[in-house]
Amino acid sequence: MSAPLEARSINEGRSNIASGRVVILARWRQRLTYLVMSGFLAWHTLAMVVAPAPDNSVLAQSVRPVFQPYLSLLRLDNTWDFFAPTVGKGSQLRYVIEDETGQRTTFVPAEELSWYHPAYFWFRSWYYSIIESPDAYADYAAAFFCRKHASLRPVSITLLEYQEGDFWADDQLSGKHPMDPEFVTVNTIKQAKCTGS
Amino acid sequence: MHRLVDVVRFGRGVFENVGAAWSQFWFQSSPTSPLEITRMGIGAALLLHYGLASPYLFDFWGDAGWMPRDLALTELSDPWMQSVFFYFKSPWQWIVFHAVFLIACAALMLGWRTSSVKWIVLIGQISYDYRNPILSYGVDKILACLLFILCVAPIGRAISLDRVRAVRAAKLKNLETIVLPYSSPWSGACIRLMQIQMALLFFYSAISKLKGDDWWSGDAVWIVFTTGEHYNRVILDVLASHYWLVNFATYGTLLIEIAFPFLIWQQRTRPYLLAAAIFIHVQFAVLMGLFYFSFVMIMGHMSFVRPEWLARLGSAWKRRIGEMEMIYDGKCGFCVRSMAWFLAFDGLRQIKIRNFRVNPSSIVTDAQVEKALYLTLPDGRALPGFEAYRYVVLRVPGLWWQVPFFYVPVLSRFFGRPIYNWIAANRSALSSKKTRVFRSLLRFR
Repeated sequence: MSAPLEARSINEGRSNIASGRVVILARWRQRLTYLVMSGFLAWHTLAMVVAPAPDNSVLAQSVRPVFQPYLSLLRLDNTWDFFAPTVGKGSQLRYVIEDETGQRTTFVPAEELSWYHPAYFWFRSWYYSIIESPDAYADYAAAFFCRKHASLRPVSITLLEYQEGDFWADDQLSGKHPMDPEFVTVNTIKQAKCTGS
Repeated sequence: MHRLVDVVRFGRGVFENVGAAWSQFWFQSSPTSPLEITRMGIGAALLLHYGLASPYLFDFWGDAGWMPRDLALTELSDPWMQSVFFYFKSPWQWIVFHAVFLIACAALMLGWRTSSVKWIVLIGQISYDYRNPILSYGVDKILACLLFILCVAPIGRAISLDRVRAVRAAKLKNLETIVLPYSSPWSGACIRLMQIQMALLFFYSAISKLKGDDWWSGDAVWIVFTTGEHYNRVILDVLASHYWLVNFATYGTLLIEIAFPFLIWQQRTRPYLLAAAIFIHVQFAVLMGLFYFSFVMIMGHMSFVRPEWLARLGSAWKRRIGEMEMIYDGKCGFCVRSMAWFLAFDGLRQIKIRNFRVNPSSIVTDAQVEKALYLTLPDGRALPGFEAYRYVVLRVPGLWWQVPFFYVPVLSRFFGRPIYNWIAANRSALSSKKTRVFRSLLRFR
């Protein structure tokens, strides 16, 4: 075999080995990608199942610590329990402002909101929080409402919860309203002075 | 020894079959179009929602607002619950972040730089939620879940400005180039992930309802409408007179929620279950005022729309509109670049093109095309210049955003025609000017 031919066949051999390596590498890369993708899909699906699982499920609770950081970080830790298990009774926030002359005016903040604006849900959520956790939110709310009605020269404010009761079809047919006094229980949430008035 | 070989062979067979089933379930190559509909809807919903929240930025998420930072931190039980707002010090940081977030939402809706902006939107959504947890409700939970899936998915490859840019780049090299729609197994896997998310949501929602007396007794819908949040005098009057409607609506909701996660997967039942799910969410929107929630849920359900349905819809639209052929001047650089832009928006490939320099038309003479671009229709009509564009923008879905410019009564034609005629008359000058700028830019680089 002549020298140039020998060199050519060596070169061909080398390039064959190199292309073979490329093919093997590509194949392994493909397999690795497939494995990583599959691992992620299995992990995320399990996370979606575990997140809303009941607290009393031993199986779900045993794996929850593994998923917890992932669920919390990505805000995936949700229970899909819309209007469940019961719809529940609503509550309405009202407040009474007393001015310098001793006159008391009642306000129903929810009635100032429109269904068609997202503010409806933001403010309602806030009102519920004031009702449910007055220690955390009532002080700020009282100051906020006092500022809002500064033109009335408010002296004090009383935050009230109107808790809704049972209201059935017969009540509706007899022309009553769920917020009529006979259907609601009124609780005082907080009384506060309006500072700076 | 033989037994061992048999066992190994059996195990390998089982492993291969499981692997094949796994691949078939997750990794079927699919276009991204169902996810793109979700992307556009969610981007638009977030833009509107947080855009309207702008006046309350400091009340809702500021340190001196409803939820002081310390209080927010006590509400969050886990150190992994993070918000970028926790690290802000000056008011301008809130404003800049909010502005960037809104721009990212708009970009997500339009599919512009999608691969980056989707992460900004996800981080923003989580940050707003964790900064003031009392504000978030059902829809925010769903949004975070859907957004994360969109983030890992290869979105922005269809019905997007990213796609327009890619097609335009290819068309600039050769106007006849056809850029095939993107399709990949990973896209199919992400669609499946979103479908599982929606099915699980319905499943858990249904079983948690089954634990409640209101739902068992069939009174839940009545109670919903008597609460102050969803009170509606007219609806209550109707329901009180025909109380069976309350039971029907309550059990109907339960039935749909229970059936959905099981029957949505079958080819025959999917259209019915999808229609039912959309129907109940339209009811929630109209009767209970849950517009944002319902819209986002419907966008999540779009993952169940089969790409074939969309393809069929596209074909039906193409058939209805008929063929359109644009005759242009291939020697004019400005015209070619404009055509590349224009065709990039034609996702359904409704417009055929003809360069009259190499392929003269039998309907329009060369002298006519020297003056203006022409559009020919199957019925033999030939529309010149402005009228051609005006005809096309109404019939090509990707160009619908231009409809307001072309269809303002009187004004569009009054201004549009002279502008077009001026551009057509000066196209050679525009071409050379643009080419000179392009060349000097290349030299500079």
